[in-house]
Amino acid sequence: MKVLAKSGGLSVDLASAFDASPNPYVLITPDLHIAGVNQAYLDVTNSDRDAIIGQPLFAAFDSGPGEEAPENVRQVRASLEKARDTRQRDHLALVKYSISHRDADGREVFEDRYWSATHTPMLDDQGEVVFLLQHTTDITELQHLRERGSPRQSASALDSMLGGAVLGRAAQVQEDNRRLETERRRLVEMFMQAPGFVAVLDGPDHVFQMHNPAYAQLIGHRDLTGKPIRDALPELAGQGYYEFLDTVFVTGEPHEGRGSLVQLQRTPGAPLENVFLNFIYQPIRDADGQVAGIFVQGHDVTETVVSAERQKLMIDELNHRVKNTLATVQSIAMQTARSHADPGTFAAGFQARLMALSHTHDLLTRSHWEGADLRAILEHETEAHGPHRISLNGPPVALEPAAALSFGMIFHELATNAAKYGALSAPDGRILVDWGVADQSSPVLHLTWREIGGPPATPPTRRGFGSRLIERNIRHDLAGEVKLEYAETGLCAELSVPLGAERAS
Amino acid sequence: MSETLSGRRILVVEDESLVAMLLETILEDMGCTPVGPASTVDEGLALLNGESIDGALLDVNVAGRQIFPVAQALKERGVPFVFSTGYGEGGLPDEWRGQPTIQKPFTEAAVRDALMKALGVATV
Repeated sequence: MKVLAKSGGLSVDLASAFDASPNPYVLITPDLHIAGVNQAYLDVTNSDRDAIIGQPLFAAFDSGPGEEAPENVRQVRASLEKARDTRQRDHLALVKYSISHRDADGREVFEDRYWSATHTPMLDDQGEVVFLLQHTTDITELQHLRERGSPRQSASALDSMLGGAVLGRAAQVQEDNRRLETERRRLVEMFMQAPGFVAVLDGPDHVFQMHNPAYAQLIGHRDLTGKPIRDALPELAGQGYYEFLDTVFVTGEPHEGRGSLVQLQRTPGAPLENVFLNFIYQPIRDADGQVAGIFVQGHDVTETVVSAERQKLMIDELNHRVKNTLATVQSIAMQTARSHADPGTFAAGFQARLMALSHTHDLLTRSHWEGADLRAILEHETEAHGPHRISLNGPPVALEPAAALSFGMIFHELATNAAKYGALSAPDGRILVDWGVADQSSPVLHLTWREIGGPPATPPTRRGFGSRLIERNIRHDLAGEVKLEYAETGLCAELSVPLGAERAS
Repeated sequence: MSETLSGRRILVVEDESLVAMLLETILEDMGCTPVGPASTVDEGLALLNGESIDGALLDVNVAGRQIFPVAQALKERGVPFVFSTGYGEGGLPDEWRGQPTIQKPFTEAAVRDALMKALGVATV
């Protein structure tokens, strides 16, 4: 027709043929405006050509005020849109649609009519829809006859005589179609609103046919529809998912993933994001039982996986710390035992060291093991000896947990030593502790512990556990330096310890 | 039995000074000469290159790092060593499973037995 119509004057003849056809036709634009009608259409709809050309179809014909009118309009509109969007002819076997006419007094009255309609898309050279042709047949009389025929009065005969069986089948098919369409829409709606992600992949190349908002969010709202997965989500190459899909398509066996790591490009140009998913690839089979596509469904379990990993790390770390602490206590016990021949003094010395360790733990627990302040540790370890005898002078210094534990042990040993042999063993002895932090870019703590008013300090004849513990803690655990000066006025300890660079774990 | 360990030079890598002191005491009691202790992986590697060593006691986690570079270097030189760890049996990666290991806190007997096993002197 299209080719013929282009050949010279024949187009005029085709236009008059269109107009002369006894069958009603209406030509509709893709946005559903009336582009042209033939005379039969005007006759059957009681319309005037000038009044309806250019009008929206459903403004010109709205099926009247009846209750069923909106549903009738919806059915015709859906069929037209389907023909337009799929570029395929669509049939409406039976549709009720009311048409108005003027009665004897000139009033507009609506009359129920039954129609059978075919909607055919007319395409241009590029395959775009230019018009939709509605071929419609008024089957009101047939329908009325059929309805009047009571089922008890040889309905089948009447039906078959009037073609009622065909009509009945048509009505049935139409009803089935409507029900299927409703079910399809309900399913699609469920997919769309599902909290998990859902996508339907078509064919051996896994072309995205539909996906829900949760899926769109998962992959960073990229344009997927109509694209094979290898083009749509190229970053999945090498992660094994294309291959799983290929296998599901070939074997028809579903594939399930639990806590699977997927690396996704959710933001253009940004680094790949790690996402953990529970998902299933379920084959979709066609009427012949062949795999036609794959249904993808699942949910994001990243938070659960990450928190489980974090918990495992924390348990490992806790175990490590507990075992290290037990080894530390074991060491304290063994070393204390070596310097105490008498079990009574051993118990006292061991317990005092254990309490020093415990006090620092208390301080750290208060800060949720983020660290402790130097002054707080000093106060803790020296308060038993009377606060007025110890002067603490320095700025706040935040210590990491490992450094805090080391300083706790060091100050405990210094204070114990002062009480036994140093300034705190004399009634008027005092201790001055001064500290400051030098070089803020890589800060170093300088601290001086100076005992005055007590007996002269004398170097120990035998290296006791206390002095070894101090030196080893400073050098080994804190990567710092210590100078112990046994002066006439009393012991003076000078410590310098880099902050934020302590080595102990 | 511990005479067989007498005079051996044993490298100690352990970041907690009190635990290191304990190991040194235990080693001295067995007649060994402790080397170190090193408190980091780098320090351990440096001591390995500078000292003659007959064996080693290696804390698996030192100052937030794993000891395996030192273990690898020792293995390449054929120097026997023992891991010490606060983690359970599963704390070691597969390639180091089967290596003599002592669990913290450890007894003197455990340290001695593990060292003798590593040095292959148990039945001498």
